[in-house]
Amino acid sequence: MNSAIIFGLLIALMLTGMPISIALGLTVLSFLFVMTSVPIEAVALKLFTGIESFEIMAVPFFILAGNFLTHGGVARRMIAFASSMIGHWYGGLGLAAVVACALFAAISGSSPATVVAIGSILLPAMVKHGYPKRFGAGVIATSGALGILIPPSIVMVLVAVATGGSVALDPEGKRVLSASVAQLFMAGVLPGLILATMLGMTTFYRAWKNNYPRMPKASWLEAVRAFRDSVWGLLLIFIVLGGIYTGAFTPTEAAAMSAVYAFVVAVFVYRDMKLTDVPKVLLASANMSAMILYIITNAVLFSFLMTSEQIPQAMTAWIKDSGIGWVEFLLVVNVLLLLAGNVMEPSSIVLITAPILFPIAVSLGINPIHLGILMTVNMEVGLCHPPVGLNLYVASGIARMGITELTIATWPWLVTMLIFSPWSRTSRKCRFGCHGCSECCDEPYRSR
Amino acid sequence: MFLRILDRLEEILIASLIAAATLVIFAAVVQRYALGVPFLYQLVYHINLTWAQELCVYMFVWMAKFGAAYGVRTGIHVGVDVAVNMLEPGPRKKVVLFGLLCGALFTFVVGTMGAKFVIELYPTDQVSPDMEMPRWIIFLCVPLGSYLMCFRFLQVAWAFWRTGELPHHDPGHVEGVVESPAAARDVAR
Repeated sequence: MNSAIIFGLLIALMLTGMPISIALGLTVLSFLFVMTSVPIEAVALKLFTGIESFEIMAVPFFILAGNFLTHGGVARRMIAFASSMIGHWYGGLGLAAVVACALFAAISGSSPATVVAIGSILLPAMVKHGYPKRFGAGVIATSGALGILIPPSIVMVLVAVATGGSVALDPEGKRVLSASVAQLFMAGVLPGLILATMLGMTTFYRAWKNNYPRMPKASWLEAVRAFRDSVWGLLLIFIVLGGIYTGAFTPTEAAAMSAVYAFVVAVFVYRDMKLTDVPKVLLASANMSAMILYIITNAVLFSFLMTSEQIPQAMTAWIKDSGIGWVEFLLVVNVLLLLAGNVMEPSSIVLITAPILFPIAVSLGINPIHLGILMTVNMEVGLCHPPVGLNLYVASGIARMGITELTIATWPWLVTMLIFSPWSRTSRKCRFGCHGCSECCDEPYRSR
Repeated sequence: MFLRILDRLEEILIASLIAAATLVIFAAVVQRYALGVPFLYQLVYHINLTWAQELCVYMFVWMAKFGAAYGVRTGIHVGVDVAVNMLEPGPRKKVVLFGLLCGALFTFVVGTMGAKFVIELYPTDQVSPDMEMPRWIIFLCVPLGSYLMCFRFLQVAWAFWRTGELPHHDPGHVEGVVESPAAARDVAR
């Protein structure tokens, strides 16, 4: 009953279009005030301590690092590198778009920005080369979402933050720790590469069938030059992953190091940015991070309410009693997340749903890392499927195509993503060989 | 005039906080590794940076509270606007105003709770674990930031009521992107 009131109130407030953070906070306040005797003062403390953790601070650092390198110049270098490698295959520029999107998205950390940066350069080039506009727009709108899955990914940090510290018991009643940022980053690499390959295969197949033009093969010298230009940006991924994997940095430290590195590369190596542009980047990053941190604060309040009303426990018990197996559960979760992906942006969905889903999933024997990757993949699909995928909107802006037309344009890649998803979903064991989890390794990667 | 100064102060504060936090953590990591290098050890061993993490967290919390207020002004706090956008202009205006005023109400309540909390904390001598800074100063960002955010919500609501315009944040904005045929030609060769 209480959970129906809480969720009903939350959804009603959200439908008025108010910021999600405010809707969350207001739900908690009004419920506590009207229905319970929990001292409201406890909330004031939570408002501060909710984000008082060093782990969460990876979010602003990664946003800052991404913003330094979210620049048309970096996009051009990634495109040159990608097309010098695979441009001479069928659908060369299309394949280059997939690779360039994957690389740029991983570095910049923002899907819509990737669609704009890569799309506004590659799309005219593809049209000029004789590709149908639909083809180009479809590739770029879907590939731009890859950034969420390829680490460093802010959504993964949020999954770790949202589930961290909650108590979950597996079917045997043993306590299961939630996935850490490091584990999720390691686990995301392989699915990210596989999904990029699959999107590339779809592109290749359609280009081969329709006999789309190929680029002249880049000379060896050109390829080396393109690599040398792009490698500074790409090193960022290796600094983060390598630093975390070797244990040189904690994820937050790696994020801070990558922010400093991105600053040096953008200002002194690539010189895309003048020193006088730096305050603008700082302000934009602070704006973005504050927004996410504000959602986190209120999501912490919300999960505090959930815990004090025992809702996750009640749901877990209910699912166990009803005899729902993990396959059905995962199917329902996938549909639910895809639907949520239609109306909300990824960080809010993860912060609201993860604390509820985590204990239930664990009680059905699902690996926490697997659940985290599954949520991330769903967020990615949600970004580019109609009616309101953010990538579609941004892509329709640069391609000057309507949403309906663009939806038709994206379907081959969208179907590819949906095919990819069950492969990553129909298992409760971690399949990714991530060196991160206790399923595949004798010695789990050091947890937080 | 006063508003312009407030706007600038807000921007300068959050931009410097994020820059400073990055540098602090960078310095702490560099110092930790410098300790492992013999000839650098002499230079850095007496610098104690154990408080770096704590300082970084507090700087980011301050940034988050004031940045959230700045975000209201830039329209970065997005909600679920599918249903609202389907309404007729008349009712839509009312619903949007309701949303903005709810924002103002929530931040006002939070600000007041935070202020009460800080006032209760003030006479105690609680300090933070590493830097030993008084806790009430650290918590001061909750009332200050929330009241500022409340003010921003009212500001936006007032502007919306008069002009029907909401601040809008463009998630796809990228610097240095040129949609010129020349750039396209370079790639296509």
